[in-house]
Amino acid sequence: MTPSALVLNGLIVGGMLFALGLVGILARRNLIVMFLSAELMLQGISVSLVSWSRHHGDWGGHVLVIFVLTVAACEAAIALVFVLQAFARTGRLDSAAWQALRESNLPRSVDHELPAVDAVTPIFPRLTPAGAAPEPDEDALLEREHV
Amino acid sequence: MSPGDPISITGSILAVAVGCSAASLWLLLPRGEGGLREHMASRFGMLLGAVALALFVATGHRLGGLGDEAVFLVVSLVAVISSVATIVTRSPVYSAIWFALALTGVAGVLLVLGAQFLGVATIVVYAGAILVMFLFVLMLAQPTGMAPYDRVSNEPLLSAVAGAIMLGLLTLFIGRLSAGPAECCAVPSKAAALAAGGEVTLSAPSRPAIPADPLAADHVARLGGELFGRHLLAIEVAGVLLLVALIGSIAIVSRTSPEERLDLAARRADA
Repeated sequence: MTPSALVLNGLIVGGMLFALGLVGILARRNLIVMFLSAELMLQGISVSLVSWSRHHGDWGGHVLVIFVLTVAACEAAIALVFVLQAFARTGRLDSAAWQALRESNLPRSVDHELPAVDAVTPIFPRLTPAGAAPEPDEDALLEREHV
Repeated sequence: MSPGDPISITGSILAVAVGCSAASLWLLLPRGEGGLREHMASRFGMLLGAVALALFVATGHRLGGLGDEAVFLVVSLVAVISSVATIVTRSPVYSAIWFALALTGVAGVLLVLGAQFLGVATIVVYAGAILVMFLFVLMLAQPTGMAPYDRVSNEPLLSAVAGAIMLGLLTLFIGRLSAGPAECCAVPSKAAALAAGGEVTLSAPSRPAIPADPLAADHVARLGGELFGRHLLAIEVAGVLLLVALIGSIAIVSRTSPEERLDLAARRADA
């Protein structure tokens, strides 16, 4: 039985999400972004499972997606604890901070000097000033501008 | 297969699309270049990505109704474009926001595919996950400026090519599905087996099939019946898994280092 057009399109979207998550988890070095990429792969798998469920006309895919959600929640708990511990030990969210775990015959990855962050600062909308200027707040001066 | 075959034309369009998406991802991923060069690379990458998406849309299967097609196109484009933005954005805060948008797109795709409970559950479950992710990013991110490890990638070219090969293989096999019935996976139907004079031993258990109307009123009731009927044991195991993950994460995060333990023991001995 040839799958319907909707099923095929859903499978292609699921495959795209999976491939994008794969690229993210291979390329990015921030542990939190790697975690988001793994979640993206799980989303792709969910879309594929629901597509197959529609193709076969039964509930197996839906039930499997519910279990995928469960396992994703467990994985999130464990992975975030690991991220927290890794940050407490190295002070960075960098996966290359753990490159001592690599194979002994692999070269060490060295960070090159990066060019300065481009001077183009994002322009955020501002309210028109109105009324008397308020007193400067000491607490606000200690806050960081961005993360 | 002759070159003028429609399937071969579709295949070559797909090959071009996969190549474009690899180049686009390579250009969009952070590579540690600053200034104008990075700006131009990201613009060119967006252009190539738009071309790749247009080619994928062109080779997609027609759904029949214009409304169905438009809805599916919008939600799937939201999902895919925000996924790309999730993995290429430098700042993890923006990455989390893009991931939330990708989730709404995925929920839309699930709704179109007739999984209304899962579409809503995805949003409900992952809203909490995104919130936690935000808290983590705000707690752990660099106080000033962007971290150097957010501005470079591990092997961006090889990663983009690997993802594109994955995508190419998946689209190739999905395209073959539409070409005709696959002989390898064809399940002999019961009627054919009966006609051949054989005896049907494996009778499928009669279970409620998905209603044709995706917005059927008893969708959730049927899903619950399936979940707590055939999959009751799996539900129990999933509950145990959640409990174990909860206890494990608390155990890992509250574990003290040996020095701290010695310190604690010394203080207890003093008291």
